[in-house]
Amino acid sequence: MTHVSIQSLTKTYPGSSEPSLDNLSLEIASGELAALLGPSGCGKTTTMKMIAGLLEPTSGDVTFDGRSVLRDKPEHRGVVMVFQNYLLFPYMSVAENVGFGLKMRKVNKVEIDNRVNDMLALVKLPGLGKRKPSELSGGQQQRVALARALIVQPKVLLLDEPLSNLDAHLRFEMRDLIRSLQQEMGITTLFVTHDQEEAVVLADKVALILDGRMKQYDSPDVFYKRPVDKATARFFGGQNFLNGNATNGQFKTSFGVLDLPIDCRRGTGTLTFRPENICVTGKTTETNTINAQLVEKIYLGTQTRLKLAVGTEFIHAVVNPAEVENLEQGQRVNIAIPPESLWVLTS
Amino acid sequence: MSDRIRIVVLLFPAMLIIVVLFFGGLVVGLMRSFNYMPVIGLTEPNLQAYWSVFTDQEFFLSFLLTFHIAFTSTVISSVLAIGAALLLRRRFVGRALVNFLFQLNLTVPHLVGAIGILYLFSQSGSFARLAAEWGMIAGPADFPELIFDPYAIGIIIQYVWKEIPFIGLIVLANMQSIGEDYESVARSLGATRWQAFRYVLLPLLLPGVLSASVMVFAFTFGAYEIPALLGANFPAALPVLAYRKYTDVDLAARPEAMAMAIVIALLSAVMIVIYLRYSRRRIRD
Amino acid sequence: MLGRDGFGIRSFRILSGIFLIVWLVLPLLPLAIWSFAHGWFYPSLLPNQWSLKAWEYALSDTAGVIDSLWLTIGISLAATFLSILVGVPAGRALGMYKFPGKGLVELLILAPVIVPGIAVVLGIHSIFLYIGLNNTVTGVILVHLVPTLPYMILVMSGIFANFEPAYEAQARSLGASAFKTFWYVTLPAIMPGIVVGGLFAFLVSWSQYILTLLIGGGRVVTLPLLLFNFATSGRNDITGAIGMIYILPGAIILLLTARHLSGRSGAVGGFGQI
Repeated sequence: MTHVSIQSLTKTYPGSSEPSLDNLSLEIASGELAALLGPSGCGKTTTMKMIAGLLEPTSGDVTFDGRSVLRDKPEHRGVVMVFQNYLLFPYMSVAENVGFGLKMRKVNKVEIDNRVNDMLALVKLPGLGKRKPSELSGGQQQRVALARALIVQPKVLLLDEPLSNLDAHLRFEMRDLIRSLQQEMGITTLFVTHDQEEAVVLADKVALILDGRMKQYDSPDVFYKRPVDKATARFFGGQNFLNGNATNGQFKTSFGVLDLPIDCRRGTGTLTFRPENICVTGKTTETNTINAQLVEKIYLGTQTRLKLAVGTEFIHAVVNPAEVENLEQGQRVNIAIPPESLWVLTS
Repeated sequence: MSDRIRIVVLLFPAMLIIVVLFFGGLVVGLMRSFNYMPVIGLTEPNLQAYWSVFTDQEFFLSFLLTFHIAFTSTVISSVLAIGAALLLRRRFVGRALVNFLFQLNLTVPHLVGAIGILYLFSQSGSFARLAAEWGMIAGPADFPELIFDPYAIGIIIQYVWKEIPFIGLIVLANMQSIGEDYESVARSLGATRWQAFRYVLLPLLLPGVLSASVMVFAFTFGAYEIPALLGANFPAALPVLAYRKYTDVDLAARPEAMAMAIVIALLSAVMIVIYLRYSRRRIRD
Repeated sequence: MLGRDGFGIRSFRILSGIFLIVWLVLPLLPLAIWSFAHGWFYPSLLPNQWSLKAWEYALSDTAGVIDSLWLTIGISLAATFLSILVGVPAGRALGMYKFPGKGLVELLILAPVIVPGIAVVLGIHSIFLYIGLNNTVTGVILVHLVPTLPYMILVMSGIFANFEPAYEAQARSLGASAFKTFWYVTLPAIMPGIVVGGLFAFLVSWSQYILTLLIGGGRVVTLPLLLFNFATSGRNDITGAIGMIYILPGAIILLLTARHLSGRSGAVGGFGQI
């Protein structure tokens, strides 16, 4: 079990004036599965390569259990990186690919064969050792890449966009496989992705990087309930932002006053809430009931999106189609926003 | 116009030229090597020319020498070209200059390189003078024989000079399209720098290196002017011997020259087979 | 870059870089020096006297070097022009269509690229003997097509493989005739390929020796033949001057096309023959 600490890590490529990664700090507890989330080009892969020793940082430090590893060569660091496109060696069989790391450590052939077979069984590819990587499907290649990494029992596992090349139905299968193997072997794992869904589905903790800086490092649900700012809320699909003033457990908007949960900050700010937390009630008795006019209604099969006008503001809601079947465009309707789903951002 | 007719029309002139000139030359050479030439009244093919060529010790020595030249030059050039490509892949002071010289060297004809090697390595050449200056030799005869020598060292040096950039640029392009990620994977799985090269990069480069080497081998086996300028009189390289036989005052020697040309062609056919195997593999990967 | 390079590796890299630079330039130096030398005998490291005599001789009307230069340029230009004329259509057929027997056609085109000239030129000489093309410039131009044409076809088939035929269909549907479509749509798109392929085909023809020697029969004296004669007759100063003239077109073409000369482009394949 290894505690990974990244301290003020910065990388500026030669010939470039802007750093590709600026001052990133991150703590990953032993055995934790953490995600580095951010749009393409924000330095995620650069970060992984620096942890793996494949790239030298311009400044900053990487420590494992408090010891700096920057001077360790990549082959001695105990970090294995699995690339997004798997990079199985094309001229080697599946078994040779999986056994590669052991061969490099000069483990004897019989032991390599045994451990390769065990590993292939573990990733649910028993008996495919003789195949060439080109004969495997994308999902199978991914599992071979994972087996090739895990067989050397790394202290730290790095995964580059582990689910993004997979079809929707394979994603959950792979997610379960990665989670179960990672927990079983207790390997501290960091993966990077640009897809917030992938991060939420897989990670214990997510670090969000926007505009070259780390915005927030929390467990996935916090990003939905308690985002740090508007950009973070937007990245996670937030659409409702109302400006106003928070005082004494209440938020004053342009159209009225809403009750807030107790842990909200005070002062001028932006009120945010998830579209899926809005209820179309018809009643006026619930807390935070608002009378709004339906401007737009889009049926999406399993859900319906509503755009509602309240005074000069718009509110976006996502509801169960059955609840709004009879609602027509232009009609007025009562909606309620439960106080615990409200959150105030500094503007 | 249907596609079929269009293709025929597009290809016809080119195929006509290649078939008539290249394959015509090959077939006529083959016929003459069998002493078969109905136009001049030779209607009974025989193996006389091959018999006299294959029993001739000069041919035997010449074949061995030519094979040695081609094989040694190809192996040395390939190995050094891989090294040079590894060097050129990284940033270093002077990389742009080396790159430019590589390309410049490609455009310099072999003949010019051969003359340069002659002036550098002959017994009165620049290196001999340098050795004399430093008191290492007393006179030209003390300088090792590198030109007109039985081991064809001068010829090989010339080919190596000319072919390192040729193979090197092809290997470098291969390296750039392979990228460094495969080696990164290997390193992170515990391979040392050397192991990552030996077990990962080299096997990935091999098809490209082999298809380039095959072209070099065929060229060095069949080139005339370089051994004609830098080679010993006896045994001469096969193309030189074939040319001599062909231009001999005794016209009876011509079928023997043709037989030697056919030997060179057969060897190149083997090279084509190897080339196709590896260039296809390169495309597939 | 893969991790940190030690001091040892960096110094080794710089040293081998220097060695490589010296090694690449070295054979050309004595030629350049000889062309300005007046007497340069063993064991002098540098000429005792410098002079422009070799250049004066080479550039004079009587020496025949200038005539030979124009002849060589003419032959190479003609071989290049014919290769483009015939090679572009063939490249189109190979690059844009799939047809039965394509593998065989490609093999027929690849063969002259790999099989050395000496293997076929003796037979060609026998053919030309009967149609009277030996010892003529026409015969030499034709025999130069053996190496230049396949090369041009290979380059053009690569260009056409990346050409989008829908542009032509679009032009035709907008009312352009077949010829206008070729002139205004296809030709501009393939022009870079024609230029680069043509320049390199020129160099391939420029460097031919044995084909010219045998088919030209000593009557068609191109620059490489002249250079060889001077090199074997011991006139090192004139050899140096002709050698410098001889490598000039290659250097000029390089300056025009350096960016096409990465090994990635199919164009480099032709340099196996120069």
